[in-house]
Amino acid sequence: MGEKEELRNGDYVAKKPKLLKLSISDPEYLLASEFSHHEPGTARINNGSFGCCPESIIAAQRTWQLRFLKQPDHFYFSTLRPNLSKSRAVVKTLINASDLDEVSLVDNATTAAAIVLQQVGRRFSQINDTVVMFHCAFPAIKKSIQAYVTRAGASVIEVRLPFPVNSDSEIIAEFRKGLSKAKSNGGKVRLAIIDHITSMPSVLVPVRELVEICREQGVDQVFVDAAHAIGSVPIDVQEIGADFYVSNLYKWFFAPPSVAFLYCRKSNSSSSTMHHPVVSHEYGNGLPIESSWIGTRDYSPQLVIPTIIEFVNRFEGGIEGIMARNHEQVVKMGKMLAESWGTSLGSPPEMCASMIMVALPSKLCVTSDDDAFSLRSHLREKYKVEVPIYYRPPNEDDGENEPRHKDGLITGYTRISHQIYNKVEDYYKFRDAINQIVENQQVCKMLSTK
Amino acid sequence: MASQSHPYLNGDSNTHIPKKPKLSSLSSSFITEAEIQSEFSHHDSTIARINNGSFGCCPSSISNSQQHLQLQFLSQPDHFYFSHLKPGILRSRTLLQSLINAQHLDEISIVDNATTAAAIVLQNIAWSFAEGKFNQGDVAIMLHYAYGAVKKSIEAYLTRAGGHVIEVHLPFPVNSNEEIVFEFRKALEKGKENGRKVRLAVIDHITSMPTVVIPVKELVRICREEGVDQVFVDATHGIGCTDVDMQDIGADFYTSNLHKWFFCPPSIAFLYCRKSSQCLDLHHPVVTHEYGNGLAVESAWIGARDYSAQLVVPKVFEFVDRFEGGIEGIKKRNHENVVKMGQMLAKVWGTNLGCPPEMCASMIMVGLPACLGISSDLDTLKLRTHLRDKFGVEVPIYYRAPKDGEVDLVTGYARISYQVYNKVDDYHKFRDAINELVGDGFTCTLLRG
Repeated sequence: MGEKEELRNGDYVAKKPKLLKLSISDPEYLLASEFSHHEPGTARINNGSFGCCPESIIAAQRTWQLRFLKQPDHFYFSTLRPNLSKSRAVVKTLINASDLDEVSLVDNATTAAAIVLQQVGRRFSQINDTVVMFHCAFPAIKKSIQAYVTRAGASVIEVRLPFPVNSDSEIIAEFRKGLSKAKSNGGKVRLAIIDHITSMPSVLVPVRELVEICREQGVDQVFVDAAHAIGSVPIDVQEIGADFYVSNLYKWFFAPPSVAFLYCRKSNSSSSTMHHPVVSHEYGNGLPIESSWIGTRDYSPQLVIPTIIEFVNRFEGGIEGIMARNHEQVVKMGKMLAESWGTSLGSPPEMCASMIMVALPSKLCVTSDDDAFSLRSHLREKYKVEVPIYYRPPNEDDGENEPRHKDGLITGYTRISHQIYNKVEDYYKFRDAINQIVENQQVCKMLSTK
Repeated sequence: MASQSHPYLNGDSNTHIPKKPKLSSLSSSFITEAEIQSEFSHHDSTIARINNGSFGCCPSSISNSQQHLQLQFLSQPDHFYFSHLKPGILRSRTLLQSLINAQHLDEISIVDNATTAAAIVLQNIAWSFAEGKFNQGDVAIMLHYAYGAVKKSIEAYLTRAGGHVIEVHLPFPVNSNEEIVFEFRKALEKGKENGRKVRLAVIDHITSMPTVVIPVKELVRICREEGVDQVFVDATHGIGCTDVDMQDIGADFYTSNLHKWFFCPPSIAFLYCRKSSQCLDLHHPVVTHEYGNGLAVESAWIGARDYSAQLVVPKVFEFVDRFEGGIEGIKKRNHENVVKMGQMLAKVWGTNLGCPPEMCASMIMVGLPACLGISSDLDTLKLRTHLRDKFGVEVPIYYRAPKDGEVDLVTGYARISYQVYNKVDDYHKFRDAINELVGDGFTCTLLRG
């Protein structure tokens, strides 16, 4: 293979060598240089939750922080705004937005959701206003809907995401069903929230098609929650066609915590009525400007974006190369695990990006969210494997189509991620840990540490 | 410097027993002048930094602690999230609770800055209007000198929801608390006209520009007497600047930034919400799975981000305790020094202070020579830039428009700050810069066009 070779090359790597002779893509090299701060000995296969930040970027961030502390007034008056514009320009190019005014930088997707939902809430007029979302939308999004939509008197329709899923058409069919239901009481669908890549369980959703269907069906506005997208899949906001699109840069795009971009289509007239909930003297000057000053705070994560471009361009193929290799590896590792455990994948390879769901042996008896959490904690504490576990409740509707394993119904899945610092050993460690637990005849309920 | 009695060598016999005495002599275990300068050696040494009020400061030992926390997160973020974050925030909140004398820990939430706190309080007001709890036209009172962001927040959340805003006009220069109380009562009366209800009073503890310490305790009492629903004290400059005691002040909501005068890195503030308040359905505008678990818990998780500024608070308490008298000692010395420097400047320039010494804390307004011809807000910005670029002095300037009938008046005031890293030389540099401008016949018209 090339495994042994990689390790040998790794032996020759000095702490911080100059780039070129050694492949920067080599995880051994990266672990020694850019990710030496990662906890050694932990198989970190959960990039999806909190992302990662290379030391080059941390160093760049510190430089910005120090510049501010050195002479903050000068920084505020002369440095901050032009450099935020530079960052926004980089993002604009990355996502193919047509206008710089369409790009705002905020803390994270959760903040973007508050912005979009506050605006939508202001537009509710009739009694039968409805918002449509996937049932597996990120918990923060669900609560945001409670806070801004339900509280304002509108109703919510949840679209079931089929899982495990076999094709885009399954998702599209469910989505059409959900939209019909939302329109059935004669109300207006004010907003559709569509995940580009769902969080748990993780699946790559055919957003372009779903947005088209929304337009067809007269949905007022479409918000794509693409928290995981940038650095995972190519993004073209013209193609996707949504009104609002948000993605976190600290998950798969190497930014420090935390920064995200919120794209607001200019041709949507309500874009000019979007406001950041934290109001400063910039109120009314447009969301990008409002977001660029929400009081004194550390804006350094937003300022390092041009440096991140430099970083990814050191890799073969730049960010595209990174995305392709992550995808290839995560599929390979997913298949390897499924084979070893005698289980299956949660989606076909083409319906995932840098993360994939792998079914867990049913002998583990994952029967609740608590069980999933216990297993996750146990893996972290006993085996030093960091990976999220998902409890998939049995669905009466599915009948014989329920996912099965040689030993029974599958109710637990794991979401593995692959990022540039991952090695195959990380996944072997996980494979072996699960096999050990099964061999020990342990079930989740036994693993509860409290 | 020699003529000024060194603040750190006053052998105060009431000092507490130092934690780690290095020598047997009295005060040597407190932080030394050299150590202080070292803590702030990252400050631009070419600048006389007399504007602590705007962006505060952060000692390098705190920055280092913060970096350590940031690395801890990056090292294993899941573990950090599940095991360290919540207890860390709880620790910070507990320390703050005792610092400000709040009765219940639940009353303390940590947020980014006072601007965020304002959004939280005012968003709740907006819901009250939307949900019919308040009537269209119900009133909010605020000071005319309220901070720009707070004014805009009131516009965004209150006016937009159908509320009516009344501004309290404050005299400036100001001579006594009575002047402020008088204007406040007038505004309250106006607010209650035609049977309207005054739903909220927003009162600065220390106004920003021009800066003055407001008699908040008395104004809160008047609010209660006059049946104002709720009182929100915006004490952006509160902690580390003036006395902050929640029982004493008695407001419903109180917010203060910790990165201004309490040595925290940018940015962190606390929002205090009195438990006995009628309306406790406050929410952070950024909603996560913690929604509904109380503001303090909601604020402790608003999505993945860097919480290190909030977690470093215990280290800041340790830092402050290295000074003689702790934060009380720092406040006292800052106040004494800023008054002294203000009086020195006013005397040299032949101008006046913006308020009597007892109405300021660690900042004071000093009149600038009238011949400089400051006649607009734009002039103040340009003059400030000129002072920064040409003279290496960082200080904000305020334009005080003349009223009818006033002539030959001081129209420009500088807001000078004093913090532990400041030296007399900083103010001499400012003094000399202005003297040079005056000597050269400089006026602000030269900066226009």
